[in-house]
Amino acid sequence: MLTQTLPTWLPRLSFAPVNTAPRGDTLVVVFLRGAADVLNMVVPHGEDAYYQLRPSLGIARPDDSSAKKEDRAVDLDGFFGFHPTMRPLIEAWQSEQLAIIHACGAPDESRSHFKAMELMERGVDDERGPASGWIGRHLATLNTGNSSPLRAVGMGTRPQRSLSGSVPASALRSIADFHLGGDPRALQQMRAALNTVYQDDALGQDTLSIMDTLQKLDPANYQSPNYPDTEFGMALKQTAMLIKAEVGLEVSAIDLGGWDTHFAQGSANGLMPNLMKDLAEGLAAFHADMADHMNQLTTVTMSEFGRRASENGSLGTDHGHGSMMMVIGGNVNGGKVYGQWPGMADDQLIGPGDLAVTTDYRDVLSEILTKRLNNPAVNEIFPDYQPIIPNVIV
Amino acid sequence: MTLSRRDFLKLSALVTASAALSSCAPVYRRLAGDLPAVPWTALPAADFLALNRLTFGPRVEERARFTEIGLQAWIEEQLDFESINDFDCDLQLVPFKTLKKAANELEGISNQLFDGYDRESIPNELRQATLMRQIYSKRQLYEIMVEFWSDHFNIFIEKGNGFYLKTVDDREVIRKHALGSFRDLVWASSHSPAMMIYLDNQANEKSHPNENYARELMELHTLGVNGGYTQKDVMELARCLTGWNVKEHFWLGDFVFKDDLHDTGEKNVLGLSIQSSGQAEAEQVIEMLVAHPSTAKFISTKLARRFIADDPPQALIEKAAQTFINTKGDIKSVLRVILFEGLALAQPKYKRPANFVLSSLRMLNAETDAVAINEHLLRMGQLYFNWPTPDGYPDYSAAWQGNLMPRWQFAFALIRNELKSTKHDLNSLLDVSSTGILQDDVDSLTSLLLGAPIERSARDGLIDTVRAAGATDEETLQIIAASVIASPAFQWR
Repeated sequence: MLTQTLPTWLPRLSFAPVNTAPRGDTLVVVFLRGAADVLNMVVPHGEDAYYQLRPSLGIARPDDSSAKKEDRAVDLDGFFGFHPTMRPLIEAWQSEQLAIIHACGAPDESRSHFKAMELMERGVDDERGPASGWIGRHLATLNTGNSSPLRAVGMGTRPQRSLSGSVPASALRSIADFHLGGDPRALQQMRAALNTVYQDDALGQDTLSIMDTLQKLDPANYQSPNYPDTEFGMALKQTAMLIKAEVGLEVSAIDLGGWDTHFAQGSANGLMPNLMKDLAEGLAAFHADMADHMNQLTTVTMSEFGRRASENGSLGTDHGHGSMMMVIGGNVNGGKVYGQWPGMADDQLIGPGDLAVTTDYRDVLSEILTKRLNNPAVNEIFPDYQPIIPNVIV
Repeated sequence: MTLSRRDFLKLSALVTASAALSSCAPVYRRLAGDLPAVPWTALPAADFLALNRLTFGPRVEERARFTEIGLQAWIEEQLDFESINDFDCDLQLVPFKTLKKAANELEGISNQLFDGYDRESIPNELRQATLMRQIYSKRQLYEIMVEFWSDHFNIFIEKGNGFYLKTVDDREVIRKHALGSFRDLVWASSHSPAMMIYLDNQANEKSHPNENYARELMELHTLGVNGGYTQKDVMELARCLTGWNVKEHFWLGDFVFKDDLHDTGEKNVLGLSIQSSGQAEAEQVIEMLVAHPSTAKFISTKLARRFIADDPPQALIEKAAQTFINTKGDIKSVLRVILFEGLALAQPKYKRPANFVLSSLRMLNAETDAVAINEHLLRMGQLYFNWPTPDGYPDYSAAWQGNLMPRWQFAFALIRNELKSTKHDLNSLLDVSSTGILQDDVDSLTSLLLGAPIERSARDGLIDTVRAAGATDEETLQIIAASVIASPAFQWR
């Protein structure tokens, strides 16, 4: 009904996944959009070239007494250190639930945000691969016996590209706003009409049942640690609420944007430190809030590429190559920086002076998918790719 | 612009009224007169689709005109937009004082001295005016192209001084050249202070070039990411663009070329060797970029994606690109190819949020000051001038599916007349085309919103459902109207 002009190729839940397994961890995927400057996030303070390339933007060594203590890197392993704003994550690091994979990324060298994000979210090497997203293919290839409409949620106003595929994924901006309003009488009539006009439409039926499910939650009275009062903090908090409410959430995709810092990115303070503060405080609050669920929860952060090793003249950085991923969870072999460090000397940098990639992002995701999400079909999720498992997971 | 006698009378009334009621928007709306309501009949699916692609949702009088003169003449009429009398829409824009002001005046208006800057008022006025034009302008194809180029040359209004500079960019770049020449459009955009600030070119100096604008000029504005440039070309073009800057004092907010920041060395972009010539260096590259075959193909593809299909037919793209090259980027000529030859090949496109909202308001002849709409567009993810990255709001269907709730909320609130300063009169509108019997009302309604009445069995089933939920006949019509706007079919154009 009223679907008569719908194209016939609309996604339908009409296939049967090949693999069946009990559902594993809930996966939270945080995408730092705009190419985060990971060299100032997890600082290679043991690298002399870093300080030569970044005379203004570089973060002082942990033992550099010429810098104020609060502006120095927070040492992690004698070579790498967190930016001071990342300090809230030190607890997860020390409890060995946070692993870092440095010089990590994708082979694409276009240095285009949009191409790089698209390829990474589709999990492919070039435009010819499947159009669906890597999370979408994970959901489509694994039957976990979970048919919840909240199986995969994209926090925000549009489901992320990584979620696209044959299993419909809904966007969720605000649990509190997810209702139609109106007086109960009109609402009941409207619900009946919507149920009729969407009777053949999976996404519409999902939206109706999500509405019913979320109605039972009470976001105003949710007791939680101090999540930052930002969209990112809100997205993590809502993810925590959904997990605790046991509504069938398997994957939550969250974006944190604004990392394209060509201009005035700031060193110890400023534009990018503010973003890192949001990131670290948010993830730390989530980690604390979900302490009792850590054995069934894995969080991963990623960004489309890194930034130029040298700072530019505008106290910012231009597009680079190698990036960094963080993996947080109860089954993570944490407290350790993974990956072969390629170095930052002239002959070690690639292209216009960028950090090389020594670990493919798909290696990290493949390990999580296999070991924590029980999906044996990584060759379908990342077609034409042979992952090398980095052993980040216990 | 020539004024008809009716317009002249309105203008006289306005002059008389304006002394007492200078900034009172409803007066202008009343002067613009009631929206015409002519009877409508079912349209062939292809005609309704064409109208949905060429307007932000066809009004009843646009349906009538289309039926009267046919597709080809209708498109020609719309392309010749300056000859369309848009006085009623212009009247409603009179209260928006910031639209015509220069950058330094806008800076003055927003500068509250000791209290810093008012960063909200000017962007909100631009958003309101944009929506009002999309709702009320008779130059619908022109407004669609304005929206298209606003995405193509996207500027995030919250970055830096964009909050007042974008108003100038909207007027002098986008609206000025929306149906003109692509070369002039890129030329104006590259000299636009709003774009310079947005993509950091004011920080692009000889000692340390900043690549941001140079890259996006090739990747997003002209050649496309696979258009044949390299990282080296990005760096060389960035050097050409050193010194392109924005005035900070006298005539603040205007373009300026700062000699002392310009790199005078020799450059090479896309194989073209460029001798030191200051501002002319990057201008030479811009002329090369707009004439490049990759640009012709990239722009043709995006236009075909907007009007025809997410994955437009290759043959159509190639023909449009050839026209682009032959006419040196004449936008109207390229559009003729895409529309005349492409519309018959059109595939379903999911309405973007603004298109969804606008089409429901236009088709229902709703009156609005567009303010309440912004909150809804924010929830749906398309508040204008609020997309942070330079690629603009996505234009493929999958990007927008999966966020139905805010659309349902809007449909429900609109029909119940709960949106502030927004009102429709569904019953009076239906009186024009229906007998007043519920079944006929629903047929008229679905014909209005979906092009043709839905099958009788589906209609009766829907009526029964809503009645069974306890609705009176009056309520039934309302709920059905809201659910049709919320329905899958109405989400596609």
